[in-house]
This record gives sequence, structure tokens and C-alpha cells, in this order.
Amino acid sequence: MAATAPAIEVQGLSKRFGATLAVDDLSFSVEAGRIVGFLGPNGAGKTTTLRALLGLIRPTAGSATIEGVPYVELDDPTGTVGAVLDGGMFHPGRSGRNHLRVLALAAGVADARVDELLELVSLSDSAKRRAGGYSLGMRQRLGLAAALLGDPRVLVLDEPANGLDPQGIRWLRDFLRSLAAEGRAILVSSHVLSEVAQTVDEVVVIHRGRSIEQAPIAELLAGRGGGVRVAGPDVSQLAELLRADGAEVSDGHDGAIVVAGRSGEQVGALIAANGIHISELASAGQTLEEVFFELTSDEQPAADDEEQAA
Amino acid sequence: MTDAIRSELLKLRTTRTFLGVVIATLALVALIAGAQAAADSFDAGSTPGVDLLDVAGLAQPFALVLGLLAVSTEFRHGTITPTLLATPDRARLMIAKLSAHLTAGLVLGVVAYALAAILMWIVLPLRDISTGLSVGDGVEQVVGGVVCIALLAAIGVGVGAVIRNQVGAVIGGLAWYFMIEPLLTAIPKVGGWIEDYGIGGAIAAVSDTQFEGRAEIGQVAGGLLLLGYAALFAVAGAILLRRRDISA
Repeated sequence: MAATAPAIEVQGLSKRFGATLAVDDLSFSVEAGRIVGFLGPNGAGKTTTLRALLGLIRPTAGSATIEGVPYVELDDPTGTVGAVLDGGMFHPGRSGRNHLRVLALAAGVADARVDELLELVSLSDSAKRRAGGYSLGMRQRLGLAAALLGDPRVLVLDEPANGLDPQGIRWLRDFLRSLAAEGRAILVSSHVLSEVAQTVDEVVVIHRGRSIEQAPIAELLAGRGGGVRVAGPDVSQLAELLRADGAEVSDGHDGAIVVAGRSGEQVGALIAANGIHISELASAGQTLEEVFFELTSDEQPAADDEEQAA
Repeated sequence: MTDAIRSELLKLRTTRTFLGVVIATLALVALIAGAQAAADSFDAGSTPGVDLLDVAGLAQPFALVLGLLAVSTEFRHGTITPTLLATPDRARLMIAKLSAHLTAGLVLGVVAYALAAILMWIVLPLRDISTGLSVGDGVEQVVGGVVCIALLAAIGVGVGAVIRNQVGAVIGGLAWYFMIEPLLTAIPKVGGWIEDYGIGGAIAAVSDTQFEGRAEIGQVAGGLLLLGYAALFAVAGAILLRRRDISA
């Protein structure tokens, strides 16, 4: 594995379908051991980007590489990247086990691995049934098993939570966590932030094919909107400390302060380090959902203001 | 490469399609060759053995359909995505599919001719009718017929990769085989050339060796011409497949 190249790197990627520019000069990267959420509303260009990364779609411009190499030039694609893309992607008349055996054979993976994975995704009991009769959740798990055939270092998942019930989403979350803990890089797309918010380390937010933001989740929150609200007897002392540290602090109502540009954790650490007495610490204003909505809504008031000012 | 071919062969064995095609072919051959062997009066000028073996040629359109489904079914069910993730080189995938379907076509051809031959050997002696066929002529007819069936499967793979839509590929391919090319031969001047050197002409040259005047060119030349058509469609299919964005 090249030490310098990130697990996934997308650089200046553009894809045009006729008159539509589906992906527009998109850049982001995913490091090993990280779970990155690839977020955007439906039609934002997520699927096109992931398919370009996997050599299924030819980019109009730019590049998308896995460990520094385009997918189609990988020596062992199945052993390097595993992917779950939208939909079932299996023949309804072929059993789940045979579906995996077909792919395993093409990738030079032994049948023993197929049975091991069927066990892992809890499909052993239905493995010999025709896949056309599988439930949505079973199809997603079959897709996940296919992605893991070559024990890949990088995972690419397109809307894996689609159609899963709450237990399924929870199962998926724990599963992805355990895979990332083994040092794998995971890129997981979703149009529903709450599905991945508790799973991912970082988010890449795209809208209309452009990257709007790449940041750790906590930073994304801290850097926007209301920030952290703190109340209590010693808040003025805390405000001084934070201002000295370069944070933006404003006075809220009821004697509370609102800290922008710091996460709740950062503020909490400062409070603990200085033995400050407080009564309340909460994230003020925007939730993650609101930030996501603001980032991806078309008519952004702020943008309009800037245009008028310009 | 062998991994990709073995994967394609496993694909053929793990749905009901290939088995269904084999059973349908055998049922049709059994019905027609059986009825003919049992009831045909066989004109004085005919060779009963040749006529009966020729029934196995009914496997041709079945082999064509099998090939037409190779790529189009992957698009129909979206399996083209996991297939290309496992085998990202699309030219390599085409070669693997061609190899697997040539093999499947050979199997189909062998069982079809074997059934026709068995019926010939069992039923004709019961009626005291001689096959009228020498070993040499019989071998020439069967080998040509089997190769022709295998090559039709290969042609189907290429055409299916060009058309890609499953229903369109099957209907288009069968329409060409049964209707369009036979109709084109009726066009003045060009028609004669199509009759001799079109796909139908090549098929006749390879498989109809025992029928006087059916083909303009020899068996080997016909085989090479049919191989040329298979290569032409395979290359066209591979080029289109390489250029295509796989978005579903």
C-alpha cells in the first residue's frame, strides 16, 4: 500500500450527461481507518461520483483514485475495494450463495470465504434460495457480503441504509464501526443525515455536484450557527478565557454566553481545566439537520445578501 | 482470464436459462426428428440420415438466444455492476463471455445432434430404412452443425452487447435470423450476394454440406466467414461496452 496516497482521492472530478453537469469540479479524500459520510440531497451527484470512483462511469474531467490508482488499473480490485451500490444487483433466479460464488470465482476468492460471509451477514439460512424472493434488508446484506468478498481495505457504500428498518440501520452502524476499527477506509453516501450522523467521523457535503464542505462532524457544528451555549455563575470568567483563546463569544439572554467556533467538547475541556462552575452547557441554535438543510437548500438568504452587496 | 471464464460458466449453470434452452431444444428435436423418423415416407431422392441429423440444426436459434442474453441480461438485472467490479477490464469480460458461450453452444450442439443421431439409429432400422449416409459425410455434417451452433452463440454475445436491451436484443436477433436476412436476399443484385455471403449463407455453407446447391462457398470458408461475423460483432460489442457509462 502506498504510504502517501489516501485510501480514496477525488480530484477536480466532473461528469457531464448531455446538458446536465452531474458532478462539477469535485474534490475530497478519505484516509484509512476513517468513516466519511458523503451527504447531499437526491440528485446531488453522489451516485455518479461513486460510480466514477469505481471505474463504471468515465469522468468528463478530473480523476478518482483508490490508494493512488484508478479502479480499473488495480491489480486486485476485489481485494482492494468493496462496493455496495444502489439496488440489489443480482439475478432473481440465482441463489444468494451462487451469486457470491460467481463473483468470488471472478475475483479468485475461495468458496469457503463465501460461506463465512453468508454467516457474517446472517444469510446462511436463505443462502440457497433464489435471491428474487429476498426482502430488501436481505438484499442489502447480500450486497454487503459481496463487497467484503476480497476482504478489502476500502469500502464504498451508496445509500446502504435505504430500505433498512431501525434495527437494520443499527446493525449496519455497528458493523461499519467494527470494519473501520480494523483500519479500513469507508465512504458511505446518504441523503438522510440522521442515518449516518452517529456512524461517521467526517462528512463531505455535496450539492448540485459541487463539494460544499468537508469536515469532522463536531467541527461542522461548531463552525456554524449558534455554537455552544453556556450558563452559570462563572460564565464571565469563561468568556474572558475563551476570548483570550480567540473564540467569538456573545452574551445571550439570562446571563448565558454563546460561543461560536468551538465545539461543546472544547468548551467543556476549558471549563474542567479551570475549575469553572457552570449550570448548563448545550449546543445552541442549529442541529446537524439544520446545518445540512442550510448547506443544501437552493435559496440561501446569506448568498442572496452577498450577491446584493457585491 | 481463466477465473473470468470460469465465473461466466458458473453464471450459465446457476440460473434456469441454460438448462431451459437445452431442454426446449431437445424437446423440439425429439418431436420433429422422432415424428419424421417414424412416419416420413422419405422420397426416393432423399437421404433419410441426412434429413434426420439436419433436424438438430433447430438448435441454432436457441444458441443465438443464449448468446443474446449473455450481456443483455446483466444490464436487465443490474448484475453488470458487480460483474464489472470483479472484472473491471471490459474487453476481458467480453472474451470471457465469448469463451463461456462458445462452450455452452458446443454443449447444446453436441446434445442436439446426439439426440438426432440416436433417434436415427433406433427408429430407421425398425422400419427397415437405410440411413443412406456414409461415416465421412455424417461426421462432416455433425461437426459442421455443432460448430455452427457454437458460433451462433458467439454472434449472439456480440449482438447482445451492441443492443444491450434484453427484449430488443432477443427480438432483433431472432427477427434477423428468421425474417430480415431472408427478405433481404430478395433484393435485386445485392440480394444474391447476401444469400451467398450473409450470415444465413455462411450458416448454410457450414451446416448444410449434404444438401446440393444450398451454399455458394465451401464448408471451411463458410466456417471462417461465420467466425468473422462473430468477431465483428464481438469487437463492436466490446468497443460499445468500453465506452458505456454503467449507471444502473
